[in-house]
Amino acid sequence: MEKMKTQYPRTKQFVYPAQLLLMIFFLSVNPCRAATDYDKKIVQYTIPDVILVNQDGQKVNFKEIIESDKPVILDFIYGTCTTICPVLSIGFSHFQKKLGPAAQDVHLISISIDPDNDTPLVMKEYLERYDAQPGWDFLTGKREDIFQVMRAFDAFVTNKMDHSPLTFLHASGDTKWIRINELLSSADLIKEYNALSKK
Amino acid sequence: MTGQGPFILKYLPAILWLLLLTGTALCADDALSPEDLTKDEAMRLGERMYRDGILPSGEPMEAVVMGDIPVDGRMFTCDDCHQRSGLGSEEGTVITWPTNGRELKKPRRRTGAWRPPEGDTAKQNARKNLPPYYRVEDARPAYTDKSLAMALWTGVDPAGRKIDPIMPRYNLEDRDMAVLVHYLNNLSVDMAPGVDETTIRFATVITDGVAEEDRQSMLSTLQAHIDTHNSQNRHQERRATSGPFFKTEMHQAYRRWHLDVWELKGPEDTWPGQLKNFYQDQPVFALLGGIAPGSWRVIHEFSEQNKIPTIFPLTNFPIISETDWYTLYFSKGIYQEGETAARYLHAAENIAPESNIVIVFREGLESNALIRGFSESWRKYERPEPEYLKLLPGAEPTPEFWKETMKSSLPTVLILWLGGDDLANIESIAGDWELPRQIIFSSELLDYSFEAVPDFLRDNAYVTYPYSLTGENETRRLMVKRWLEVRKVPVTDLQVQSKMYFLGWMLTGAVKHIRSEFFREYFLEKFDMMNDQDYAIAVYPRLTFGPGQRYASKGCYVVQLTKGPDPELVKRSDWVIH
Repeated sequence: MEKMKTQYPRTKQFVYPAQLLLMIFFLSVNPCRAATDYDKKIVQYTIPDVILVNQDGQKVNFKEIIESDKPVILDFIYGTCTTICPVLSIGFSHFQKKLGPAAQDVHLISISIDPDNDTPLVMKEYLERYDAQPGWDFLTGKREDIFQVMRAFDAFVTNKMDHSPLTFLHASGDTKWIRINELLSSADLIKEYNALSKK
Repeated sequence: MTGQGPFILKYLPAILWLLLLTGTALCADDALSPEDLTKDEAMRLGERMYRDGILPSGEPMEAVVMGDIPVDGRMFTCDDCHQRSGLGSEEGTVITWPTNGRELKKPRRRTGAWRPPEGDTAKQNARKNLPPYYRVEDARPAYTDKSLAMALWTGVDPAGRKIDPIMPRYNLEDRDMAVLVHYLNNLSVDMAPGVDETTIRFATVITDGVAEEDRQSMLSTLQAHIDTHNSQNRHQERRATSGPFFKTEMHQAYRRWHLDVWELKGPEDTWPGQLKNFYQDQPVFALLGGIAPGSWRVIHEFSEQNKIPTIFPLTNFPIISETDWYTLYFSKGIYQEGETAARYLHAAENIAPESNIVIVFREGLESNALIRGFSESWRKYERPEPEYLKLLPGAEPTPEFWKETMKSSLPTVLILWLGGDDLANIESIAGDWELPRQIIFSSELLDYSFEAVPDFLRDNAYVTYPYSLTGENETRRLMVKRWLEVRKVPVTDLQVQSKMYFLGWMLTGAVKHIRSEFFREYFLEKFDMMNDQDYAIAVYPRLTFGPGQRYASKGCYVVQLTKGPDPELVKRSDWVIH
């Protein structure tokens, strides 16, 4: 009888191993999750070889600017976005202000996820609203090229309203990216950038 | 000392709340009101704070977002997240709760949680006796003016719940706060006219001069959608009275639709009065479709002034505005062809900035729209003004005119915004002159009769074309035909009917999503938030939506013509040219 009391109920015999397996599963698919209170991963991406267009209407080779000698901080936004993009952009704007002249050492890149509406003129006005300084580019392009970039960063959504607050950081010469799926405070973004630049 | 700052900051909301409660106990009157302002003035100033982030003083509002990022109010307004209606939004994982007066002044359930109907009915009592796990606790009590102000200052609501740091903490003086609170208290409080317990009324506007076939094509398709909605094919009215409790909100929102037809007759300057009379006789919630051979200006202005949404009117002459809000168009109409010509030439590598561009046109609504579309874009590219050659009324472009144009202007690009008849004598320059690198035409002005472009020009001729090309969207066109056939609606004009077919699907989605919140701004916001629908689009390659975007088709092809009497269109550009 005593032995019986110490046994798990029949259902729990399955539940506990299942929970353990689930934990192992999540740990295995997310091995690099850092000790932060936001969703952060270290991942590797293959950068697509596409030509995009910047806010000045100039064509830019996306792969070349990503693989330049500057670290890159990248996000996905669109010009008429209501909630997530303004906060991401305020973050970029404040990041440039806080860094001052040192902001020239990092390339901020915003990729449009609404390429039909985000023309160079729209993007230029958007950057002006956020007091963007040189070193922050907003890129649009052919819809299929934009989709290719979104897929490359595992950021593709069929409906732009479903997009996530993603920020990607990349040290020059490194093949790995830090992927953060959360809106960040200024302190956190600078902390992540400083950690990146110390590499 | 080093720990003092963070300690105070940590407990600052609690301290402020304590001060507020003490103050509230001493002062029974909880209302905040900007006493030196009239109500209308307070609403105007409050609206400016809410929508533009500008204080009554004219300075930008200041706030802190994400805990440590100072925000200039012009970068990020209340309107951005809570929307013009104040009914909130959903984007990705961020859900913004309503902040309109009606919702602020009652307790708030979690988003999507079931709320018993208002009023002390037997049914409500029965539902109050649901098992505890169905009884969702209120996330917060009703706001008072002061607790709302405190939430805006500190980010802590009256339940002590810390609001997500994406919600800015505003640095506002008492008076400015009173103005904003006054505005919020009065935002989206009363439901819009045109809706009662059983019906949502819509109207469609048809002006003089519309061909009977076009009128019927539009009305028959629109009415077919309305009949389908009213057919009770999912027993909506029965479910509203006896459906499962957790679907109460959805079922009780169901209303039948009714479509009135407002026919505008006589001189255009009498139309505003006619519209006013129609509306006074029978208010409607929104205008659907509609058709006019000329400018849509009068109806657009009526819609804007009275804040009545107009959804997808059929017009080649919409009002082009970056700020007007209440009319959602399929496209910018003919203007968009002019804009596309500018984009195409600007992106073309063989058109140098100093290139001589000559536009030949005949005065008219169409050419005016094309020129405006072209010149507004061209100016933004900081390109020099083109040369304009206007044909006088009744004057036919003679062979001498064409020769003189080629000789004196030496155009690098020749834009011929003329109808097919005006091209009759252009053959006179064949062989004698080196043709301009690009000769641009408009599909609308050619009335889609591309054979009017002489063969000798076609190697250099480029035509702006605002619809899907043959071979694109064939399956969807077939779907529209089948849909019409099933409803016994004759297929008379597939382009018009496809547009109304699309409108009907969008309308169904928007009405479903507003639930019982019958506010016109919220209704339009649901179109804004709509997925870039592709399954119901039959005549455009795609239509896309977004907050404040009022022209769903953003593109226009540039095509070339094959030679012969029945030219085919050969795509020479992407749908959207950057």
